[in-house]
This record gives sequence, C-alpha cells and structure tokens, in this order.
Amino acid sequence: MSHQGVTPRVAAANDPQMQCSAQDNVVPRQSFADLDRWMERYQQADPDAPAALVGALSPALLRFFRSQVASREQADDLLQETWLRIHRVRHTYRPGEPVLPWIYAIARRVRVDGYRRTRRITLHEIAMELLPERPAPVRDRNLGPAFDTLVAALPQAQREVVTMLKVGGLTLEEVARATSSTVGAVKQKAHRAYERLRDLLQSGEGAKGAAQ
Amino acid sequence: MNCDDLAKALSEETPLPLEAQEHVKSCKRCQELVKALNLPVAVESLPPVTLQQIAEGIATNLRPVSPVAPAGYFFAAFSGVFVSIVAFFVYRMGALAIAVMTPLETVAILTALAVSTGLLAYSLVHQMIPGSHYRISPRLLPVGIAVSLTIMIAVLFQFQHEQNFWGHAWPCIRAGIPIGVLAAVPFWLILRRGAILFPAMTGATTGLLAGLVGTSVLEIHCPNVDAWHILVSHLGVAMLCALAGLIVGLAVEIKGYAVNSLNSNHKGHLA
Repeated sequence: MSHQGVTPRVAAANDPQMQCSAQDNVVPRQSFADLDRWMERYQQADPDAPAALVGALSPALLRFFRSQVASREQADDLLQETWLRIHRVRHTYRPGEPVLPWIYAIARRVRVDGYRRTRRITLHEIAMELLPERPAPVRDRNLGPAFDTLVAALPQAQREVVTMLKVGGLTLEEVARATSSTVGAVKQKAHRAYERLRDLLQSGEGAKGAAQ
Repeated sequence: MNCDDLAKALSEETPLPLEAQEHVKSCKRCQELVKALNLPVAVESLPPVTLQQIAEGIATNLRPVSPVAPAGYFFAAFSGVFVSIVAFFVYRMGALAIAVMTPLETVAILTALAVSTGLLAYSLVHQMIPGSHYRISPRLLPVGIAVSLTIMIAVLFQFQHEQNFWGHAWPCIRAGIPIGVLAAVPFWLILRRGAILFPAMTGATTGLLAGLVGTSVLEIHCPNVDAWHILVSHLGVAMLCALAGLIVGLAVEIKGYAVNSLNSNHKGHLA
C-alpha cells in the first residue's frame, strides 16, 4: 500500500513553520511496515509476533483513544481491551488485506463500548450522589495538546474521521474500511469537519483551544 | 477557488492543487484552518513494561489459528442456504402464484428478490470481517432494500380492496415468519465464523435476509396478487424479521458491553 500522507501536509510543505509541526503529527507509516507479515505469523502462533505487533501498533492506538476519551487511564484501559479482542478474533484477519483498518475497526468498537460503560457509570454516580456539591474542576495533567482540544469541538463521527486521518495517518480508503463506511461518506465527513473547524477558529472557540 | 472548495480539496487524498495553495496564501481563514490541522498531537509514550505485559499476556495464550475462508465461500453459503430453503418450501407448498402473475410481474419480483438477497448476503460477508471494504453503506442497505421492494410492489401490482383483508393476510404472515426464523439459524451459524462488531446492524441485515426467504416462498406460493396483501403479509414478514434481528442485535450489544464491563473490573488478567 502506498504512502498517502494527510492532505494538509502538502499545503504545509510551503510553510516551514507548518511543515515542522506536521511532521510530528501523524504516526509515520514506516512504523507499520511488515505488519501484514507479523499478523500472519501471529496467526501461526509465532511467539515473537505479539511483541512486534503490540510495539508497533500500541502508540498509534493510544493516540486514537487519547483523542477520543478524556483521561489517559481510560485510554490505557481501552488499549488493553483492544488487544484482548484482537487476540480473540485474530482468525478474521485475511492475509494480504490491509492490517490497519482491521485493527482500527476493532479499536473503534472497543471505544464505543467504553463510551457506553463510562456513561453508565457516570449516570450511576450522579444518582448515588449524596452531597450536592461538585468537586472543584481540576485541570487534568494529561490534558491533550491543542489539536485534541480543537477536534474535541467536533461531533463524534467527524472527530473520529479527522483523528484517523490526521493522527493515525490512515488513508481515506482505510478510514472507510475501519468505520464500515464508504470512501464518499468519509470524504463528506472530513469536508464537514474542516468547514466546522474553520468556523470554530473564526469564532474564536477553536483558537482558544489551540492557544492552550 | 473559494473556502468551500478548499475544504473539499483538503478532504481529498490528492495533493492540494495550485489554485488551492494560492487560495490558502491569500485567505486568512483557510490559513488558520491549515495551520490548525497541523497542530502537534500529544506524543504519549507507553512504558515498555506495559507493552511487555500486554504482549506476554497474549503470548501465553497463543495457539495457531486458520484465517477465515475467502468472501466468496461465505457468499455462496448464504446464497445456498437461501435457495435451498426457498426451494424446499415451494416444493412442499406449491408455486400457485406463478400461474396467476403475468410474466412481467413474475420476472420483475423474482429478480428484485434475488438482487436484494445478493446485496444483503454481500453486505453480511463483509460485516463478518472487521475492516472490510464496502461499496454500499451497510447501515443504509436494509432500509434501501425495504424501500425499493415497497416501491416495486406498489408499481407492479394493483391495489384492490379485499373484503376480508386480515383474514387473508394472517395465514401468510403465520406461514412466512417461521420460515424466516428457520432460515435465520443457518445464517447465524455462518456469521459465527467471523467477528460481528456491530450486532444491531448485522442483526437487522440478517433478519431482513432471513425474512426475505419467507417473502420469496410466499411470493411464489400465494395466489393473492393484491398490492396491499403483498406489502403487508409478504413483505411484512421480511420487515418483522428485520425488526426482530435488530432487537436481538441490540440485546447482544448491551449484553456484550455489560460482559466487557465485568471484564474490565477484573483488569490485570493480561498482565
């Protein structure tokens, strides 16, 4: 599969300041080289395969979860849960197919379950709250940097697409596969997300987030 | 080139055209957007110990597995089950409707049912495998098929006003639903070979496919060609089965995440 960078990077190439930041943004595709071969070895129970896959994919998965959920703890939990599920359904990977969409599709499902679980717990906690006082808001030490804050203003579906494209470095085709959707639908979501981000930046909400 | 065109260009994978690059230089709003999209993302490293624990947790349980069969195999299995069940029940019940319908009606409705079956089987084959490539959105497909079949029946058949509508409709519904339920069993056995990530969506699709088995049998067997009758008591079987599949899928989804909640309370089993 050819390397297809995230489009803004092309524009950024003309601007040295933007170019510098863009290079740090996306997980480099080179780190995913040979994933398909490792997946095949994983299916054949090669004992080296789990370490290779976990080492190569976990940082990208953690970034994906980190941009979707608030706390680092939750993201770590989701990462562990994702590897459990990957292990359980490893037979569903077909050799020769792209690995990243397969992994992200599972991660996405884990994130949905995690969101429901958190919501249920939160609701339960509010119902059981004895004291009406709320704890003083504490700034999370692990608060993500500006990009995360900026995309946090987007609706879930758009945030997911932008995160996969921008943070995961997936292509449109791969995002479509990971989200059980079509390339056209992904393009549309990305387009709407960019328009919304531009509006947010203009209204100042996003700029505030970006300045943090 | 305006700001909207730039947002479109950004959502493409091809490099930004020269026009778009010129626009970015001259438009402050778009400059801000492009800069914002290149803001740094937190680079959070995972402690090597954590990675090692996860890898070891997986490795301790490692056994060789065979990859799932090719998509064509599953497609053939779904289609084979569909055709076999329809053929069996038509053989048992008789093809009385064929003599009553015009050749155009016969060809059109059977072709529509065959195409719908093919599309649903194709969708299910892909829903079984995470990260599959979809040409048609799996969420929209069941709705699209239900609407298309409704329109087709409304166009092909005449609306008449039967005296005892429910008296005629009820036997068809009562005969069609058990056929749908029966068909759902082998479909579920095939689906179990893969990984279902969104049980509600897959449940609705499977339910509709199973229901279409019942609809097809009724469409070939029942000599009542009133459009209302076909819509309510033939296509209605497929709709009811799709609804049942959706409900079962939702239940599985809720149960699944409840089980996962329990698992997460006992975290550390990977370590």
